[in-house]
Amino acid sequence: MSGVESDVIAVNNGPKCRHSPSTSCGDCRLSGICLPIALQHDEVARLEDIVNRSKTIQKGYTIYRQDQEFSAVYAVRVGCVKTMRTTQDGKEQVTGFYFPGEIFGMDGISKNRHTNSAVALESGAFCEIPFDRLQELSSKLPSLQRHFFQLMSSEIAFDQQLITQLSKNSAEERMAALFLSISSRFAARNQSGLRFRLPMSRGDISNYLGLTVETVSRILTRMQQAEIINIDNKEVEILDIEKLRMSAAVL
Amino acid sequence: MKLKQKWDAGFLEKYQVMAPRYTSYPTANLFHEQFSAEDYIKACGKQKNCISPISVYVHIPFCERACFYCGCNRVITRDRERIQNYLQALYEEIRLRGKLHGHRRVLQLHWGGGTPSYLDPSQMTELMHELAMNFELDGSESRDFSIEIDPRTVAEQSIALICGLGFNRISLGIQDFDPQVQKAINRIQSYESICRLMVEIRKFGFDSVNFDLIYGLPRQNCQTMDKTLDQVLALKPDRIACYNYAHMPDRFPAQRAISSTALPDGMEKIRLYGMISSRLIDAGYVHIGLDHFARREDSLAKAVEEGKLQRNFQGYSRTLANDLVGLGASAISEIGHCYAQNAKDIQAYLAALDKGNLPVAKGMELNDKDRLRKKIIQSICCNLSLDTEAIEKEFGISFRQTFGLQLESIKAFEKDGLVKWDGKVLRVSYSGRFILRNICMLFDEYLYNSPTSKFSKVV
Repeated sequence: MSGVESDVIAVNNGPKCRHSPSTSCGDCRLSGICLPIALQHDEVARLEDIVNRSKTIQKGYTIYRQDQEFSAVYAVRVGCVKTMRTTQDGKEQVTGFYFPGEIFGMDGISKNRHTNSAVALESGAFCEIPFDRLQELSSKLPSLQRHFFQLMSSEIAFDQQLITQLSKNSAEERMAALFLSISSRFAARNQSGLRFRLPMSRGDISNYLGLTVETVSRILTRMQQAEIINIDNKEVEILDIEKLRMSAAVL
Repeated sequence: MKLKQKWDAGFLEKYQVMAPRYTSYPTANLFHEQFSAEDYIKACGKQKNCISPISVYVHIPFCERACFYCGCNRVITRDRERIQNYLQALYEEIRLRGKLHGHRRVLQLHWGGGTPSYLDPSQMTELMHELAMNFELDGSESRDFSIEIDPRTVAEQSIALICGLGFNRISLGIQDFDPQVQKAINRIQSYESICRLMVEIRKFGFDSVNFDLIYGLPRQNCQTMDKTLDQVLALKPDRIACYNYAHMPDRFPAQRAISSTALPDGMEKIRLYGMISSRLIDAGYVHIGLDHFARREDSLAKAVEEGKLQRNFQGYSRTLANDLVGLGASAISEIGHCYAQNAKDIQAYLAALDKGNLPVAKGMELNDKDRLRKKIIQSICCNLSLDTEAIEKEFGISFRQTFGLQLESIKAFEKDGLVKWDGKVLRVSYSGRFILRNICMLFDEYLYNSPTSKFSKVV
């Protein structure tokens, strides 16, 4: 399956900032993701008017709740967000992790209601793009709406591919697929894909992968012994990406 | 083969007549222009407090290339702007209809065409989003959300998107795997590409995959069909719809590219259909009726057993909703006791919505007689039987008095072993399934007033 590596959003080559919360959309490091290239300068200003930029949040903050009406999509600026849902038998299921530059909240798009809750895993910042206002603006700037739906469709496809990969394969393959996914997502945003920090707990990882915490720990130990990765608490270094790909059964 | 011998014995001549497909009764050719958007809105007004679920059909009329056999309402274009303009109008219609039906849960959703999969990923996402904004789309496992796919237009990546948008059923336009046949119908798609697509579809756990096949196509014969069936069965589709190609070049200009000399003759078509049905049944499929087959464990086959099958413009489905809202050019809605069809012509469709009007162009309101006959025809098509006592009770009529003439014809069918009539229940026999349309025709009050050339041959 090609999903894990090739389906991330195009690499951002736009101007860089130090992701300061006060940055305007035009200067944002993530503008290549949010903004259609064809947008003129004054059009960017109009978009800025509707985006609630860089709201800062504390660890544990809930951005939206399951069953809440869908009104906006969100982009992670700083930090990491996890999405999860409560199943019918009352259990919590982690459904995704989102890193800077990634858009979340699309789970609401096909039912107009969020099927997940989104919670900040660490203090950070996100942008909120209200959908009704986006649609209003899009009637004046058609390329904008097309661009957003383009973004969303690739995010939706990417999510599905990851979910499918994670639901089918062995524990080892799932763990490796998650590492590869995170690695390629960082790399696609001009950050190191070989050294990164895992913002989520072992509990969240095991829940997401449908494994027990013990299994996750055992696999991590095995991967270290095989010199595929080096892991120190939350700091991860990928030592042998080819072996990791083989473990994930994606070649 | 017993069946074949029977057919050889002059049955072909006898039952080879033009007949409607009965995706509706009265059939769509009877819709008239006196029925307007106001009539539709009035019918909806009567249902204001109705909270029963609905089905939604969305018509995407565009195709990249012309398949020569096609009789659908479609437009061949590569002009992406044209598609975008159509979608803008479609969104307007979705908003207008949402005001009328938005409070009712949508348990069934079908995107048909044309080629819905010809939309690019962002257009598909936006369309689903517009639907979700204006209708109450169901999120439960029991929903039936399906999309027709032209395998030539989808990248493997699109399957993930289709799944993520909430579709749980896929219908693939296969038609035939034989390269010569594919060439003759201008639809070339390799078996290998379909195999790859099926692997991808199965990976995403869709509830069912339907294959559309067509028999009676140019260059088809029993040898080519045998091989096509081998290939079809190897891919294990959950449902198979096997349509009879209706060669009507006067009505469908694209069909003029098909030489009538390349078509299998009537006898060969009978053999083709006999072969298809016997091979599918041997492979464990259930004959649903009128060209449709499903694996025994599929929900459609279960619906037959439970008597919960319905037939509408999209063919057979489980009965999840009685009312149908059709969106897009030429789409037909069925609300209460009304049919309403949108403008077929895209320009007329766009013009109506540009003015903020519902694009209803024709329709009809069913009277009591229509409703009685509709019920009978539905029952024959879906249950392969007709409980006349239940009909008498529901409509307060005497079946014998009302349908005395029909009962005479039924006796003739019975002599040929096509039906069984015990005085209360009419049952269609195995060979009767091949001429279901002939049986339905008996109860079609309008048939003798309509020009028969508009319909296709039964077999």
